[in-house]
Amino acid sequence: MTRHVNETGLALYASGDMSLWQRASVGLHVRRCERCRERVNQFRSDAEALRAASAETPEGLDWARLSAEMTANIRVGLEAGECVAPRTQRKSWSIPPIWRPAAMAAGVMAMLTLLAGAWWLNFPAQDTQSLNRAMQELVHGRKTTLDDRGPVIEASPDGIELRKDGGALGVSQDSAQLLTVSVSTQGSASAHYADQDTGQITITSVYAQ
Amino acid sequence: MRSSLLIFALAASAIAQTPGRKLDFPVDSPVLAVSSDWSETKATPRGGAYVLDVHAVLSLRNASQKRIRGVTLAVLAQEVAPGGKGSVSVPSLDVGPREAFPLRIDLPLLCPLGAGGPMVEVKLDGVLFDDLTFYGSDKLHSRRTMTVWELEARRDRKYFKTLLETAGTEGLQKEILIGLDRQRDRPSAGVQMVRGRSTNTDPEREVQFAFLHVPDSPVDPTAGSARIAGNEARAPHINVQNRSDRAVRHLELGWIVKDQQGREFLAASIPSDVSLAPGKSGAVTQDTALRFSERTQIDGMTGFVASAEYADGSYWIPTRAELNDPKLRAVVAPSPEEQRLLQIYRKKGLNGLIEELKKF
Repeated sequence: MTRHVNETGLALYASGDMSLWQRASVGLHVRRCERCRERVNQFRSDAEALRAASAETPEGLDWARLSAEMTANIRVGLEAGECVAPRTQRKSWSIPPIWRPAAMAAGVMAMLTLLAGAWWLNFPAQDTQSLNRAMQELVHGRKTTLDDRGPVIEASPDGIELRKDGGALGVSQDSAQLLTVSVSTQGSASAHYADQDTGQITITSVYAQ
Repeated sequence: MRSSLLIFALAASAIAQTPGRKLDFPVDSPVLAVSSDWSETKATPRGGAYVLDVHAVLSLRNASQKRIRGVTLAVLAQEVAPGGKGSVSVPSLDVGPREAFPLRIDLPLLCPLGAGGPMVEVKLDGVLFDDLTFYGSDKLHSRRTMTVWELEARRDRKYFKTLLETAGTEGLQKEILIGLDRQRDRPSAGVQMVRGRSTNTDPEREVQFAFLHVPDSPVDPTAGSARIAGNEARAPHINVQNRSDRAVRHLELGWIVKDQQGREFLAASIPSDVSLAPGKSGAVTQDTALRFSERTQIDGMTGFVASAEYADGSYWIPTRAELNDPKLRAVVAPSPEEQRLLQIYRKKGLNGLIEELKKF
């Protein structure tokens, strides 16, 4: 006969809270040991009695009274909180009538600025260019280009630039002097720069694709 | 609160960042990158793409046994889309073996917003040596361009050296001053180039080219025209004839435009691959449109042959005497080497220029 299992082990075994290995070991002992088996049965009957007792509602319980007491306790708690930390009173804020048009104008301007920023960053550039072209036609009353969808290479006395979808990429060298620009009909533009100190020529080119 | 969040998001989206970079030189490259400074390079998101401001200074070393005359680097953010490709060339070099030289890159490029982030790649497109041999992938046709620059450099250096010997320092100075005036007074107008379609709603008319016949040119333009609509000229078509005894495989024509005030300027060059056997004719056509400022009305056009490449790989360029034609002198820019010599004169004076001419 092996040693008896302690009370805690038997309680855990009775409630089914042991690990698989411990349960097998204790179960082997309990099957052979009458004293421990009786203790396990005792634990199980106690647990059953406890479950049955907790399921019953106390006799004479007045639910309406209980509810009123709980509501009263909550109110008392809230009032006590008011006494300990007084609430800051929110000031009512209103714009004087004379300033209301200016405030509305400022709000509209802020909204327009926000929308313009969002447009600049997110609106498709090609659509922006088309809109710009249409506005030019309205303002100047003249026909403009029909189709500027492809890349445009530009050479001017100021340098060379690649334009696409309304955006422009311009080549500039602050430390060098621009001498000449040229365009090749095969789709590139070049700028000749001279180093101010050495005279060394650097030729920078951009390509349509 | 929502507005603040939106403004914050918009501002955050415009913050510049440092792009990745890569120097991609072949293992047997005759130039090696000794050092590089990319500190001023940045990428800024704009719409659906990054705008890359590439500012870099590279220090390159000649790792070959020959003297280097020119280098071209391809600078790439995306190879096939508009705005993704640029190049930087340095002609008129004289870099001996193991010597180092600086190369500055200042280019804006575009690349799409992608998972990998913005990236700049610098590739060696070509190196031209003093014996006119070439190394490189030549994807940007830098062999032809740098060879023509080098031939022009030799022509112009020889011209100034001869002038110094025959007319002395006064004769050289007089010619240099004429060159400076020519560079300053050369007319230039803003021109936009679009490939492939009509972009103007004004009525079109066909205008014939006039031609400047360069006496020694192996190819002669015989007839040509372009469609003109307002301030726009497009679809040039020029017939050419090979009058030399050697086959020609590439031509570069100059396109001069005259406005309603009689002012002439070089509008563009028209490079074209051709296959012209001796005595045979062919045509150079480009599906291209040139657009000038709105005030410019095109009144006439002139074409001339600027350079030619024979099928055997040798080249023809005009002589200094041929470039003395008044019309050409007025519109054709000095060669890169002449521009360099003029800059040296401005910076170091006549003695500095003479020292430079004695170097090689």
